[in-house]
Amino acid sequence: MNESILFFTTFILYIISAFFYFSFLFSKKENLARIGFKFAFSGLLIHTVALIWRTVESGHAPFTNMYESLSFFAWSSILAYVIIEFKYKIRKAGPYFMLIVIALMALASSPLMPKEATPLVPALQSYWLWLHVSVTLLGEAFFAVAFITSIMYLVADSREKKGGAAKSKLSADKLDSISYRCIAIGFPLFTLGGLVFGMIWAYKAWGRYWSWDPKETWSLITLFVFALYLHTRVVMGWKGRRSAYVAIIGFLAALFTYFGVNYILSGLHSYA
Amino acid sequence: MKSLLKLFSSVKLAIVLLIIITSTSLIGTLIPQQRSPSEYAAQFGQLANLLNRFQITDLYHSLWFLALLFLFALNILICTLTRFPAKFRKAFQPKLIKDKKNILVLKIKDSLGKNWGLAKTKEELKRELSSRHYRLKEEVEENKAFLLARKRTLGLFGSDFVHLGLLIILAGGIISGFGGFRKNLTLSEGDTLDIPNAEFKLRLDKFETEYYPDGNVRDWKSTLTVIENEKPILSKIIEVNHPLSYRGFVFYQSSYGWDWTNTSVGIWVKKRKDPSFLRKIDITVGEKVSLEGENIQISFIQFIPDFILNEKNEAATRSLQPRNPAAFIEGWQEEEKIFSGWIFSQFPDFSRIHSEKETDLSFELKNFKASQYSGIEAAKDPGVNIIWLGCTLLMIGLACAFYWPSREIKIILEETQGKTGVIAGGIASKNREDFQSEFDKIMTSLRRLR
Ligand code: HEM
Repeated sequence: MNESILFFTTFILYIISAFFYFSFLFSKKENLARIGFKFAFSGLLIHTVALIWRTVESGHAPFTNMYESLSFFAWSSILAYVIIEFKYKIRKAGPYFMLIVIALMALASSPLMPKEATPLVPALQSYWLWLHVSVTLLGEAFFAVAFITSIMYLVADSREKKGGAAKSKLSADKLDSISYRCIAIGFPLFTLGGLVFGMIWAYKAWGRYWSWDPKETWSLITLFVFALYLHTRVVMGWKGRRSAYVAIIGFLAALFTYFGVNYILSGLHSYA
Repeated sequence: MKSLLKLFSSVKLAIVLLIIITSTSLIGTLIPQQRSPSEYAAQFGQLANLLNRFQITDLYHSLWFLALLFLFALNILICTLTRFPAKFRKAFQPKLIKDKKNILVLKIKDSLGKNWGLAKTKEELKRELSSRHYRLKEEVEENKAFLLARKRTLGLFGSDFVHLGLLIILAGGIISGFGGFRKNLTLSEGDTLDIPNAEFKLRLDKFETEYYPDGNVRDWKSTLTVIENEKPILSKIIEVNHPLSYRGFVFYQSSYGWDWTNTSVGIWVKKRKDPSFLRKIDITVGEKVSLEGENIQISFIQFIPDFILNEKNEAATRSLQPRNPAAFIEGWQEEEKIFSGWIFSQFPDFSRIHSEKETDLSFELKNFKASQYSGIEAAKDPGVNIIWLGCTLLMIGLACAFYWPSREIKIILEETQGKTGVIAGGIASKNREDFQSEFDKIMTSLRRLR
């Protein structure tokens, strides 16, 4: 037994979960979605063990290279999904969401990602690494759920407008309010992890809390897009399509902060 | 003046500013910042002038970007202030709704009838609401009663805390930018340096680099002593992520390197025709030592840690890391120079010794030793505590706004012929689904009561 077997088992469980979710989507049998959820949930449990295992084995936080970080992002996404699904029964989002998670897991297990745990460079040896990365990625995970529900909103809305009345329990209206709910949960987490903890750590490690490094700037951009979402919605009464577009752009910005900056732009953050 | 106030209290302006600031920040991440003019010229050609003219090469510190941030701050301030009084009144001097129509327009609403009198219905309702931590306000008129039940009123002010926090963060940033100071210090073990603008000195007692078994750096550790009035005040070992703070200054472990000016080396001297001949000499830059038993002195002129020949075919160093160490030595006999040249520790066969006079000697650069210096960044940032204050307010505000949303239930009770009609409506700024289910539970429990 080791971490990679656990990781692989998790991956398989997620794939099975996606399989059941998709069968639910085509057959409309609620039972299948329930089974899908169970597999996703057991995947989450094994994944948790895998992360703990990795932490104990390497002696440091399980997100110091791209493989670890992707696996952790997949974990927090599933966690966010399980919470939202549990509260709001958004079963129909399951299949699409599992696709994102599977994509993350597949990327993580691609041969391009070095798997071995390497010793930490001095700048990463800090408990702020834990706080900064875990809280930020958890926030982004809720943005990911909002991303999926926003896309589903756009589809459902066009269908309902064409006259296909809201047959399923997951109406466009409900999708819209669930997107908002996810952003309302994710926004404080992202601000706390990405901005506040990031600034504190940067101050401890480099002596400056803000240096307009591309990764910092991009997390600010992400924050601003979601601030735009909130203000247009809360103060100006936007809803529906326009809100959905902003939420989608927001998640893409978060994704770019997470991936794009590392591979396309360079800066102080380039080691992580 | 009035229209200006109106402009700055509008959320539309905030949206426009947010979009502008977001897009300009984005441009700053695409165009490299704070590089040299020649780099821009190479990368952008003709465009470089334009970039320079509009300060896009140092966008985040440009006047126009600062101006944008200033307008944004003004917008937040005025917007929040102008809305505050009404919000305050609503929170602390709430008016009871006496017209049914105002309840019926709410999204969350319900009505029911009981076969009891007004007083009993009201008491039961109040009991149920109190058990759910609602605070109550009521008014009774003849056969009618008006109730207002609220909880988590603090949540209403979440956004004000957020905006105040943001303003404080911006202010802190300005203070850091203009009042801050930072300087790179390089200290070798034993060095004492005056800290600019400070009343104390800093001494480096010890500098160590720790390695992992595979040779990668684990950590750099500097033992620093603060000296005030010639007396040592305190000592601390600093490392990356663990700086030393003293009197508003913070000292960070930022880099390390070698001081190559006083390098000492070990040189092995051999004779080509006499394999048994071996002399080992230790010598420091600038020294001249006699070779034992030979009428020759060796002079150590220069050390280069990372030897290359530059375009002009001159010896130069590529970096300050000891990647290709080389020593320039000369051999003297009395007052006459008999040879000179470079010897390399990694390429012993590559020695380039030019002899003026026939000699049988060969030289190998065996080891080298230089003192390591510790790169320490001294920083004074008067804005940083203001930033932390702003961040705290920001997070308190976000927690209030999103995780502690206010809830309000407005109720009108009306008694007619011994029966009481109840009309209730609810308002929740956030998380309507949860509120709806709480609202339904309250109404259901009243319905079920016999
Ligand atoms: C990046 C900057 C900003 C951030 C992060 C921010 C954040 C927030 C947050 C988190 C809320 C609460 C939203 C909610 O309850 O769902 C809010 C509400 C609000 N914001 Fe901002 N804000 C920013 C800039 C501004 C500016 C410039 C204005 C001024 C025009 C403004 C005006 C408002 C108003 C009027 C509300 C609603 C207040 C209420 O009903 O409680 N915001 N803001």
